[in-house]
Amino acid sequence: MNKGQNRDWVKTFLDNFIWFILAILFTYFAVNIPNFTSKTNLINVLLHASVLGVLTIGQTIVLLTGNFDLSAEGMVSLSTIFAMWLMITPGTVTGTAQGSGLMMDPYLVIPIILVLGTVVGYLIGIMITRLNMNGFIVTLAAQLVLRGVAMIISNGQIMTGSPKAFNWLGGAKVYGFPVSVIVTLLLYVGVNYLLNQSKFGRELRAVGANPDAARASGFNPKRTITMAYTIGGFLAAFAGWMLLGRLETTVSSLGEGMTLETVAASVIGGVSLKGGIGSVGGAFAGVLLLSMIDNALNLMSVDSFWVESVRGFIILVALLIEAQKFRYKPKVVHEKEPAVASDCK
Amino acid sequence: MNTTEKVMEKTPILSVEGVSKAFPGVQALTSVDFCVMEGEIHGLVGKNGAGKSTLMAILMGILEPNEGTIIVGDQQFHAMSPKEAIEKGIAYVPQHVAMMDSLTVAENILAGELPKTKMGLVDWKRVNSEAMERLGRLGLEMDVTKKVEGLGVAEQTMLAIAKALFGNAKLIILDEPTASLSRKDINRLFSFVKSLKDKGGSFIYISHHLEEVFEICDRVTVLRDGHIVGTAEVAQIDVPKLIVMMVGEDVEDYTRESTCQDEVVMELNGLERRGFYEDISLKLRKGEIVGLTGLQGCGVEQLGKGLFGLEPRGIGEIVIDNEEFTADKPIDSFNQGLAYLPQDRYRYGLVGLRSVRENVTYPILNKLIRLVNLINRREEKVIVDKFISELDIKTPSQEQPARLLSGGNQQKVVFAKLASTKPSVLVLHEPTQGVDVRAKMDIFRIIDDMAAQGVAVIIISTEIRELIGVCDRIMVMNDGRMTDEFKKGEKDMTPEKILAAIEGGKNNE
Amino acid sequence: MKKNTSKLLDVIFENLIWLLVAASLIIFSSLSSSFRAPNNMAGLLYRSAALGLLVLGQSFTMITGNFDLSSESGLGLTAMVAALALASADNGGLGWEVSPFVAIVLMIGVGLLIGLINGFLITRLKMNNLIVTIAMQMILRGMVYIISPGSTASFFPKAFDWLGGGTLFKIPLEKGFFSFPVATLFVIIVFIIAHIITRYTQFGRNMYAVGSNLTAAKDAGIDSDRIVRIVYLIDGFCMALAGWLAAGRIDSATPRTGAGLTFPVQAAAVIGGISMAGGRGNMIGALGGLMLWSILDNGLSIIRVSPFWIETSRGLILLFAVFLDAVKVRQMHQRSLIDILMQSTIGLKDKTIVKK
Repeated sequence: MNKGQNRDWVKTFLDNFIWFILAILFTYFAVNIPNFTSKTNLINVLLHASVLGVLTIGQTIVLLTGNFDLSAEGMVSLSTIFAMWLMITPGTVTGTAQGSGLMMDPYLVIPIILVLGTVVGYLIGIMITRLNMNGFIVTLAAQLVLRGVAMIISNGQIMTGSPKAFNWLGGAKVYGFPVSVIVTLLLYVGVNYLLNQSKFGRELRAVGANPDAARASGFNPKRTITMAYTIGGFLAAFAGWMLLGRLETTVSSLGEGMTLETVAASVIGGVSLKGGIGSVGGAFAGVLLLSMIDNALNLMSVDSFWVESVRGFIILVALLIEAQKFRYKPKVVHEKEPAVASDCK
Repeated sequence: MNTTEKVMEKTPILSVEGVSKAFPGVQALTSVDFCVMEGEIHGLVGKNGAGKSTLMAILMGILEPNEGTIIVGDQQFHAMSPKEAIEKGIAYVPQHVAMMDSLTVAENILAGELPKTKMGLVDWKRVNSEAMERLGRLGLEMDVTKKVEGLGVAEQTMLAIAKALFGNAKLIILDEPTASLSRKDINRLFSFVKSLKDKGGSFIYISHHLEEVFEICDRVTVLRDGHIVGTAEVAQIDVPKLIVMMVGEDVEDYTRESTCQDEVVMELNGLERRGFYEDISLKLRKGEIVGLTGLQGCGVEQLGKGLFGLEPRGIGEIVIDNEEFTADKPIDSFNQGLAYLPQDRYRYGLVGLRSVRENVTYPILNKLIRLVNLINRREEKVIVDKFISELDIKTPSQEQPARLLSGGNQQKVVFAKLASTKPSVLVLHEPTQGVDVRAKMDIFRIIDDMAAQGVAVIIISTEIRELIGVCDRIMVMNDGRMTDEFKKGEKDMTPEKILAAIEGGKNNE
Repeated sequence: MKKNTSKLLDVIFENLIWLLVAASLIIFSSLSSSFRAPNNMAGLLYRSAALGLLVLGQSFTMITGNFDLSSESGLGLTAMVAALALASADNGGLGWEVSPFVAIVLMIGVGLLIGLINGFLITRLKMNNLIVTIAMQMILRGMVYIISPGSTASFFPKAFDWLGGGTLFKIPLEKGFFSFPVATLFVIIVFIIAHIITRYTQFGRNMYAVGSNLTAAKDAGIDSDRIVRIVYLIDGFCMALAGWLAAGRIDSATPRTGAGLTFPVQAAAVIGGISMAGGRGNMIGALGGLMLWSILDNGLSIIRVSPFWIETSRGLILLFAVFLDAVKVRQMHQRSLIDILMQSTIGLKDKTIVKK
């Protein structure tokens, strides 16, 4: 019995390992880097974590079903460009891209891009589940197509000047606290709660862990996976809205490289690439870790060229841990042998 | 018992002495003595779980025995590595052979040692001619330039045997090679194997088809519950004697009082799926337990899966609780009162990575939803606790991942999952496979309890004795049709008669 | 009758890529006279020579059932290493101004090292090959920036540039010259060598065996991990050659050299019939995939399609290729299922078939 509790404790420790690392690293940075703990800087870390965080939620949901989504950053690009195209005047400033001249109301544009993201996510899901296309490459190609369409619309130019009403999510502050950070935190708390308490969360993990058994247990894996991609698409558009609000400017290359960061954050946060295991809460720790390291490297004025390499290494380490996890198999718990039981009497 | 006396003038190519192997909770083999002579085809028969696969795994070096020795040629091993087994010329041909599908027959035969030209490049002409020549030596004719994925199952099996021989195999283990072959192909395969035997080849032939054992084997060894029951010359034994050896008489069986009521719960009318089963009609009463049995490939497996909606069902009418049963996918089946226990627990039964609690409530989540999509965790916990104590599931907690439980407890979790849906009809596919004796009794008790509560149960199994113990009726399927029926209390309901009925279909062909 | 149609289908499927190449050649030639100019035709492969080497490496890894997404950065790193060693300090180099031979040895060494690391991580540490190579892509690109301080290094010795930028011969035409690029010939030769390796060597066939069915390959005594490690080494070697070609063609290397090539590499290989499931496809097909890619790229820009549309169409082509791959696999499964049904006793027995 005692042993069992001991094992539980070790398990809890391993499950929350990432939070310990986060705490240690935070302390290290706080002691060694002046200004790291200043309010502005911490808010900076959180700001960086907000857009990445929203995308990571989508990635985690897809990873839980045992699939990848590499298309999200393409959707970030397209949704921002498309929103701008709908909102700004034709040729506001020379050298910038043309708007459509529709001058649409931001309150109309926001739902439009969110629907766009959702529909694209749904289509990707259909291609993967119904047409049996390789999910990895489909989403990779989708990224290319989405970014390509963004290029066509923007003519490869920078688009600036999104209206204030649109920027509220990404740019506004409440009591000195950025709205995007608050919304992201709320999203994490909410989605984490939902995925742990809802039927859908169960479904995602069951399908990811064993699609055949999930089907025999009354789930519909194809629908679940399609749903996961649909949510991923929605969140990507949502992240686009947030990012555009913060930058008030966009270009078709926006968000380049973020996909890998989302995969890294999820994996670091304990989400298995093989599906079925992990939580959005853990992934958030991964997001914070990546944002914090980025920020710290920046403050220590480490050559920005190093940053990408460091990120790559972090992913490799996360993968290494993940690969070892599957090698290590805990001992199977068995009933006592009858002979032993009688001895006890 | 009488293995070693029968040495005659032939020399043993492989012998096993006093081998035991225990898995946690199960004694798979108990001091097994077994011996294969040079140039003989040695049958190995026994029920599912008798220890055949464990013994074969030890011979192939996959498992290490707890005690005993293996003697191959003049060398003695405690345990072999897979590599040593191959070096010693032991080859295994499973029912579904692993082949390089996208490559040609010739390349599959010569993989790793393709003939080369003087320049060291692969000489495709010689690859093809050599492959053809090698096959020809064994009396096989095949288009060697064809890709393996274009071959039929029969041809693939023949090819696998040929491949094993080219790999200098001295002893080939054939594991249910005829399970999906037509009679014509079986004849071809048998004459092929016999011709190889005449050239001095040795085989271990594992099969459920006793007739085939008599057709092809020289000697046969029977395994039961991890013990060797005996080895006999096939010329000196007949099917009934073999059946008695396989089934045994000394086992204590589970017996029960019939709980069958009069009210009909389920009615099958003329169910037919082309190529698998046809003309299946059956009436099930409340509390009745019906056994369905037949040879592998007789269609009974597909019938079970088809009823539940894991595979297409074909045409025909089903009525459950006076309502037409229309479900074509598992969730609808659960809702319309039919639950199914799959044979392959690891693939279809459990989501091993997830907890016991989650596994139990998967099909009833809709009923546990308290708000929009949120699950009532408190109610869930109560339900799972109830099942854990009712079914006596041994687990440290509800949160234990299901894969970490022992086989018997895993099976109980699957039962809990099915029971949670409150089914009218329960279809069980080999419910006692891979569980130990004590857990088996528990499982029968669970089935019995559910029947007593009025659930109609269909058990699809090849464990004849177990079926006789629990079932009110046993139906035998042959080639996709129900051919015989045995009722409890009639004196026909004996293992010998039932097995004869199962084998019967094969004879009539 | 039925067999013939399925065989015909096979033949069409296996040579689909060359039909597409021919069709696109005809279409673009009829649309534009500058497309069908001999110099343009000969230059098709010249411009995508570096891409071709990466396609080759990718095809090798895919045949064994693996992926490599790191090659574009491998190209960038090897090119930058050579550039820094070759160029004078004024032109962004380190001022070593080594001989071309040393530079080439150096870059090949780097390429092999990358392949070695990839292979080690994937076979020894059992890490997911997709993500490993993506991470490697990031790390290597980061290293390009680190060693190059973000600037361009240019002006290399002629001897170094010869392979990527040189011409083999010139024939005077009415207007100007017809010049045949070295790189075009080089790519063709390399693909022929690759074809010989994959088709006619034991090692090449072992690659197919591993990708087709790992278990069966191991049963046949093939050391699959070793094969995969060697394939990643070859892949690294190809990166170095690609770096050489790329740096030589533009006589310089920037930190972005090779960036964004992963998509074209993947697409060309898949369109060329190299299956993502492993064990299928051949190098001649891959060359076809490369050609189709170059023709579309070149043709579309000559007929003045906006570059952004080209970018988008690339993604669509990749999607189409994946779709074809999925159809191929599905068709294969269906066929073997029918075979199983036909052969089995319990299946469509002889009498049932006769009846129909």
